[in-house]
Amino acid sequence: MIPDLSQQGASNQVTPPANPQAPVVYFQGVSKTYGRIHALSNITLGLSGGVTGILGMNGAGKSTLFKLLMGKLRPSSGEVKLFGVNPWKNPAPYARVGFVPEHEKMHDWMTALDFVSTFARLHGMTRDEATAEATRVLEFVGLGEVANKEIGRFSKGMRQRTKIAHALVNDPDLIILDEPLQGCDPLARTTIMNVIRELGKMGRTVLVSSHILSEIERITEQIIILHHGKLVALGNLHAIRERLDQIPHTIRLVGTDARALAKDILGHPAVYGLSFPNDHELLIQTYHFGELHAELPGLIVNNGHDVSEIDNPDDDLESLLNYLTGGSS
Amino acid sequence: MSDPEELTPDAPVTGQGRMDVAWGANTGDESDVSTSAASTAKSGEIFEQEYTQWNGILNPRWMRNWSILRHHLLGIFKKGHRPWSMPTRIFILIAFLASLGDAAMTLLASLIGSAEVHSWFGVNRDNLYGHVLGFFPRNVLWYPIVAALLVGGVISEDRHHGTSALYFSRPVSRFDYIGMKYLSVVLIQSFVVLLTYFIYFLAEILAFGRGWSWMIDVFPMFLAGLIAGTILIVTYTSLGLSLSSVSRGRFFPGIGLLAIVFGTKTLASIVKNLFEREILYLLSPYDCVAHVGQAIIGTQPTYDQYPWTYSLVSLLAMNAAALYILATRVSSMEVTRE
Amino acid sequence: MSSDSSSRSLWKGVDRKAMAVAEFTLKQQRKRLSTWVVFGVGFAAMAILTMFYIDGMVRDYDAIDNDGDSIDTDGDGYPNGQEVVYGTDIYNENSHPGLLTPPVEPDDPSVWVNEDDIDWDALVAGSHGYDDDGDCRTDARTASQKDSNNNGIPCDVRMVNALYGDGIAIEGDTNVDEDPDDAAYAREAIHRASVLALGKFGFVFLIGIFVPLFMATGLIRNEMTSGTMHFMLAKPIARTEVFLYRMLGFLALAWPYVTILILLEVIVFGLAGPSEGFFRLQDLGVWLSIWLAALLAILVYGMLFCMLGVMWKHGIILALPFAAWELGMILTTLGAPDASILRFSVIGWAMNIVDAGAALTWTDTPLMIEIGMWFDSGGSESLEGAEALQIFASTPGLGLGALATIVVSVVVLLFQAASCWFLGGVLFKSKEIE
Repeated sequence: MIPDLSQQGASNQVTPPANPQAPVVYFQGVSKTYGRIHALSNITLGLSGGVTGILGMNGAGKSTLFKLLMGKLRPSSGEVKLFGVNPWKNPAPYARVGFVPEHEKMHDWMTALDFVSTFARLHGMTRDEATAEATRVLEFVGLGEVANKEIGRFSKGMRQRTKIAHALVNDPDLIILDEPLQGCDPLARTTIMNVIRELGKMGRTVLVSSHILSEIERITEQIIILHHGKLVALGNLHAIRERLDQIPHTIRLVGTDARALAKDILGHPAVYGLSFPNDHELLIQTYHFGELHAELPGLIVNNGHDVSEIDNPDDDLESLLNYLTGGSS
Repeated sequence: MSDPEELTPDAPVTGQGRMDVAWGANTGDESDVSTSAASTAKSGEIFEQEYTQWNGILNPRWMRNWSILRHHLLGIFKKGHRPWSMPTRIFILIAFLASLGDAAMTLLASLIGSAEVHSWFGVNRDNLYGHVLGFFPRNVLWYPIVAALLVGGVISEDRHHGTSALYFSRPVSRFDYIGMKYLSVVLIQSFVVLLTYFIYFLAEILAFGRGWSWMIDVFPMFLAGLIAGTILIVTYTSLGLSLSSVSRGRFFPGIGLLAIVFGTKTLASIVKNLFEREILYLLSPYDCVAHVGQAIIGTQPTYDQYPWTYSLVSLLAMNAAALYILATRVSSMEVTRE
Repeated sequence: MSSDSSSRSLWKGVDRKAMAVAEFTLKQQRKRLSTWVVFGVGFAAMAILTMFYIDGMVRDYDAIDNDGDSIDTDGDGYPNGQEVVYGTDIYNENSHPGLLTPPVEPDDPSVWVNEDDIDWDALVAGSHGYDDDGDCRTDARTASQKDSNNNGIPCDVRMVNALYGDGIAIEGDTNVDEDPDDAAYAREAIHRASVLALGKFGFVFLIGIFVPLFMATGLIRNEMTSGTMHFMLAKPIARTEVFLYRMLGFLALAWPYVTILILLEVIVFGLAGPSEGFFRLQDLGVWLSIWLAALLAILVYGMLFCMLGVMWKHGIILALPFAAWELGMILTTLGAPDASILRFSVIGWAMNIVDAGAALTWTDTPLMIEIGMWFDSGGSESLEGAEALQIFASTPGLGLGALATIVVSVVVLLFQAASCWFLGGVLFKSKEIE
């Protein structure tokens, strides 16, 4: 159905093979090893639509995943499909893909407009079409005013946005951003995050990688978690959280009399441990977070305690990662 | 914050604890994200920093320089020192072995007892000259290319990788740094050119049982060959390092040195053959060294239109210009990573 | 972008990509200082050679009395040549043409220098030469004296195997073509030798190797090292295409450069060269073959060095010894143009093109060399310029006709370029890019 053309011939295909059934991104049992180091091991996943954050520490395999997808690397085993086509052999699907590499080095001698329009022409656009498109996307990422300045004179945030513009110029269905926020100041971060959210609203499939959890939290709820080359979790952040209810959690209460509070809570079946960092704080360990969390306000109000804060110190992505990977590493 | 009071004997499995176990190998740059503990912090504190002077004794300058030199030289032989690329090291080895050709032939001559073979390859005035300055293959295939490969990245790669900044943040002056680089390139070339020259000479002494009288007889021309070889190495190094200091790439200095050596040689020999003019040889580093070498070793000169002192002056000028460029470039070099 | 996939729009798409990458590469190279340094140095080197050439054309050459007949051996005021023509005794001061009836006035001795030039136009199969000064045709000689080379024709120069072939033997009758115009010969010979030397060593070797070495080695490799290749490879373009189009961009700069340099030299050599008219047109064939050889050399070396760069991070280490190898090979072409080792080089084939072009344009070069060297045997030195011409001119080495040599060499060079492209493409395709 999908011709598995050799790289040489296939790129001549102006329209990439369309396969509506095929997921945009598809990994089947993919491993990538460098000698004895496993960069990725046995990844199986399929993605279509929406903004997906890929989380992982440095060296977790995020960039390797993207490079496999972009045909830069050949999988050691397994099968990678991009729009149903093997990207190592066939660059045709890139007509529908925009890729923002993590590398900082750019063609500093070019103007942003030149840069974006040159690469737009690789999609088969004429010079005029490419210039018009480039102007449009540079406007979209907020670089319209500096489009004719040399990239070498840009700040880091502007360079990142130029890279994003370069990736968006073909109006892609899939956008892959490898660490787009790395090294940007807060202002640039906000701009780039807005751009990414905007793309998500436009119905594009977006893959964003980061090792900074709060960034991903601000962009999307759909996440993939990689750790040591293994796929640890995939899905909605909150859904994943729900699945973690069986894993011990901590609830932190701050009140006037923590010990009095503890006496009332200790009897609850969901609680298996308590500790007092100081007189006003109480930390509750539970295996049934959802249940306890639902009943806790009642307990407090019924017993007339003065509680000023209820907090889940573990309920962020940081801790989530810990629970998820605690058993695997 | 005081230690948490434990109520239950089985210690609580907190997020922080698990994190420490699972993510102990953090690289450090994750810490800009608040950890679970940090979210409870209410107050901050700024610690007053107190700087005390280091009161140790700085090793003498020569010792610091020696460590730089050693770092570069040992890189040829083993890992953990300056990483000369593997192909460069292999090529140096090949050139070294190829340069031992005449020593091997001398041994062969003594084995088969052939005076004829000995006259072709054994130690004599022409062969001593030939060992350091013979055009083909030594000064086409081996020596200039060894020089080109060595100078290829010696400064430009340091700048590219930012390692020059590491040197300059130590008690090492720029000129010491560049001087040691220069010396290390010279010494590595000496392995190929001069060490093989010694071995060649030694092979003759051992194979033919030469006595003191022969050695004293031959010593002046041996010394002359040594000087000629040193001039060759120094000239190539000066030119190469000045190219390395002006460029950023790995390719440019090597190709540049080769282009200078071969290009000027080719141009000069074209003009010589067409118009019977040898003046252009003054532009060619190889020919100038060869001319001076012929004069001091005392072989039949192949350049006869002008005196050898012209070549010497030209060599001095080349070296001076190259060193000037090197010095000004290094003293004004920005040590950012490029 | 239309989704029409007819072959026309497909071609257009490829065309646009090629233009985009080539244009990008061209701009990139143009922005680099090193490009202009390399071009400038190449120009300076050619300019130095050209200045020596111009000096060689305008300077005076000593008129040498090759046969010594301007000397007045017996001191009677008549040069020996004049005495020979009139049949008087050159060793006897009492025997000279002034005693004949009517008496002959003595010639100025300078008349008898360069008095019997080589008769290029009198060339006929097997025989040429004309005794301009009459010292062979003189009645004082017997028939056998007039035909000392025994070919039945009095006072001629006999060519054994005149045109291209394995050597020419010249057997001249005594006192024929014995005192050529040295300056004219030197200028012509040095002019030809200069064109060949400049073409072979200047354009095909120095420019042909070093421009690609500087500019093409890093075409792909530098981008791979710095990571900027990711931008291009994220687009729907095959890597073999990237390789080819990058090369096109390089050629779009290097080819015009060498073309302009050659054009400048054509003009200078046309104006300064020995010619009856204002401009020397007869070398154009040689220049064309030099141009062709230089373009092809740049193409093949470019593809080769670019491929070596793709193959290995240290591609330069393979490229430098190769350049040295080619230097050895071009020296070989001068002495032994038919050596079979030259088949394993690029420069050997390029030299074939130049040599064949020269053979087509200057059919009499071997003859000129022979004649120039002929004087070597007669006690006097060879004519000035003959040795230079002998060094730089060689017969095309394939043993084929000149035109066939050009065609075969062009095909071989194109094949070499195509193989390098193919190999480079395959290597590039199988490279994982970090």
